[in-house]
Amino acid sequence: MASLSSTTSTAAGDSLRSFSGLRRETSILRGVAAADAPASQLRRRQLGVVRASRTSPRLNGRKLRVAVVGGGPAGGAAAEALAKGGVETMLIERKLDNCKPCGGAIPLCMVEEFGLPLDLIDRRVTKMKMISPSNVAVDIGRTLGPHEYIGMVRREVLDAYLRGRAAEAGASVINGLFLRLEQPEGPGGPYRIHYNEFSPAGGGTGERRTAEVDAVVGADGANSRVAKSIGAGEYEYAIAFQERVRIPETKMEYYKERAEMYVGDDVSPDFYGWVFPKCDHVAVGTGTVTHKADIKKFQAATRLRAKDKIEGGTIIRVEAHPIPEHPRPRRVLGRVALVGDAAGYVTKCSGEGIYFAAKSGQMCAEAIVEGSENGSRMIDEGDLRKYLEKFDKMYWPTYKVLDVLQKVFYRSNAAREAFVEMCADEYVQKMTFDSYLYKKVVPGNPLDDLKLAVNTIGSLVRANALRREMDKLTL
Amino acid sequence: MSMALFSSSPPPPTTLSALSLKPRLSFRTQLALFPRKAPSLLLPRSTDNGAGVVSSTATVTEEEEKKEETPPPAAEEKDVESKQQSVLGSNGAAARAEEVLPPKFKDPRWVGGTWDLKRFQKDGKSDWDGVVDAEVRRRKWLQENPEASSNDEPVIFDTSIIPWWSWVKRFHLPEAELLNGRAAMIGFFMAYFVDSLTGVGLVDQMGNFFCKTLLFIAVAGVLLIRKNEDIDTLKRLLDETTFYDKQWQATWQEDKSDSEAK
Repeated sequence: MASLSSTTSTAAGDSLRSFSGLRRETSILRGVAAADAPASQLRRRQLGVVRASRTSPRLNGRKLRVAVVGGGPAGGAAAEALAKGGVETMLIERKLDNCKPCGGAIPLCMVEEFGLPLDLIDRRVTKMKMISPSNVAVDIGRTLGPHEYIGMVRREVLDAYLRGRAAEAGASVINGLFLRLEQPEGPGGPYRIHYNEFSPAGGGTGERRTAEVDAVVGADGANSRVAKSIGAGEYEYAIAFQERVRIPETKMEYYKERAEMYVGDDVSPDFYGWVFPKCDHVAVGTGTVTHKADIKKFQAATRLRAKDKIEGGTIIRVEAHPIPEHPRPRRVLGRVALVGDAAGYVTKCSGEGIYFAAKSGQMCAEAIVEGSENGSRMIDEGDLRKYLEKFDKMYWPTYKVLDVLQKVFYRSNAAREAFVEMCADEYVQKMTFDSYLYKKVVPGNPLDDLKLAVNTIGSLVRANALRREMDKLTL
Repeated sequence: MSMALFSSSPPPPTTLSALSLKPRLSFRTQLALFPRKAPSLLLPRSTDNGAGVVSSTATVTEEEEKKEETPPPAAEEKDVESKQQSVLGSNGAAARAEEVLPPKFKDPRWVGGTWDLKRFQKDGKSDWDGVVDAEVRRRKWLQENPEASSNDEPVIFDTSIIPWWSWVKRFHLPEAELLNGRAAMIGFFMAYFVDSLTGVGLVDQMGNFFCKTLLFIAVAGVLLIRKNEDIDTLKRLLDETTFYDKQWQATWQEDKSDSEAK
């Protein structure tokens, strides 16, 4: 987590201490080098137990029952893949018209991979403006092809669409609030989940219900109750605060295809402030991990920096939400798996989560379908760990690169100035957009990479030299 | 870096200090008029920046608004902006509080969003140190007084217009001199001590592996540890590089015996 150096030491130090305390004893005892071998094979070698689904008992006369808790992109994608795979699925969502506080940006690969209809996308952002602490403004997006864009969606529209697809595939969508789950009594026993089912008429707290399922997919977001019930552990989280502002038509024209990112200590010590266009208004917001108490101050500073462009606007909504910074220490326990924000799959640096939520939901569901042979066998933890393995392997480079970028470029105002300066470079723009839109970290031409490295170091050195001079100066 | 101070252009000190007092005074008086401070929307109203004259342009908001003008400050170079805040809450009531923004950054050599290199001529050559100083002041000013980013006057300055040799001359060389000096002193005394303890002369030390290792450690130490805090900084950096990886691998270090018992 990058922030001003003094705060980083305390924040990272505290979290490092508390975090490693959770797992250190076990790793020392077992000497597990988890990164080297797929965990299931490693465990087999060490314990002599084959945890393959082939040995799992067949379910007699019924299909595998899975409850998906949470109906956002992760839950919707999971429920659809499960239902399509022949598993009896129930999707529990507490607020079917939930208008989530979210940037709402989805990459191109999501549209393709999930077959999203293009009318779901309110706007296509093809230009982004990065604005440094000293207001150096750089436009990125010159390298985008005519068919490339960042899609801006309304979350309520996207979530409802994915849930609708799940229902069409055969999942039963229940409007209810998940309360808790009971662990199974025996090794193959069912999980009993308790939830409040709300009547379609609305109002009241709903009826208490229980259901027995064989597996649970926790897709209930940053404050996941499923995570709590399996003792998944805590994570560091950022607070994202956003105001939706309706601005005059003339000003809206500027934001027709453009999103802005403001960086600076005034706007956020470890994140960025943004102005993202939505269907007929803009969302102005900022976030922070380390200085949550000052979020209003940062929001005021963001509004100040965008002042000229959002003048005359009226705030129509204020919203805030926690955003996880890293995965929870435990993402799978028994036949319960976490996906999406509940698992903590939000990237650093850009804070992107929708695509990874949907993808992890889909991967988890596919692992369940495969492990249960289309719903005919019981699954076990090993099948769920296959999903973790696949997800980690596929997206780890993306997450790591964004983490490095955050550590290097969100460190201080000087680093942010260098960051914006680097964004002016066409090669950088191309690499950035390619990796964002297609979620593949592809090393480019080595000569260009070398030039990029030299330029980056040069920018950082110059910006830091200026900063040292700035520290000597008192205005 | 005393070289830097000699070559910097003299800032306008009197106007700056006079100005820094004025906005705060007016802010305080205006606060007294509107003691009620409610959660507010910042609906800024920009004032036009002319030389020494403040005029205000009103923005259209859905609430009725009052206009207030602040008297123009004495300084020719900086201007004062005033802002209005109004509440757009569900109750529809509006609360006003006047707040005076700090002055915008202005410099006669800052033209069109970048430094006009023609104004930085000294003896017929570009005064790169002057450009560096001017940019340092600009960044410091904006750090203390953040400003709205403007589409009409976009900032397009890029530090790479200042040639690399100027950066080397001003920033790298003094520090290199310092570090080389430290390395020389450490080297001399280490060579002396090793010689006095073991009788191995300087030339023979260079042929010895242990001595060469000591030399390597000494050079690395001088390069990496420049201040006392650097030792902690380096340790922290090392932890940071692997922290994220550990967070991701946490779920794989699950104790198998726990879940088997269930």
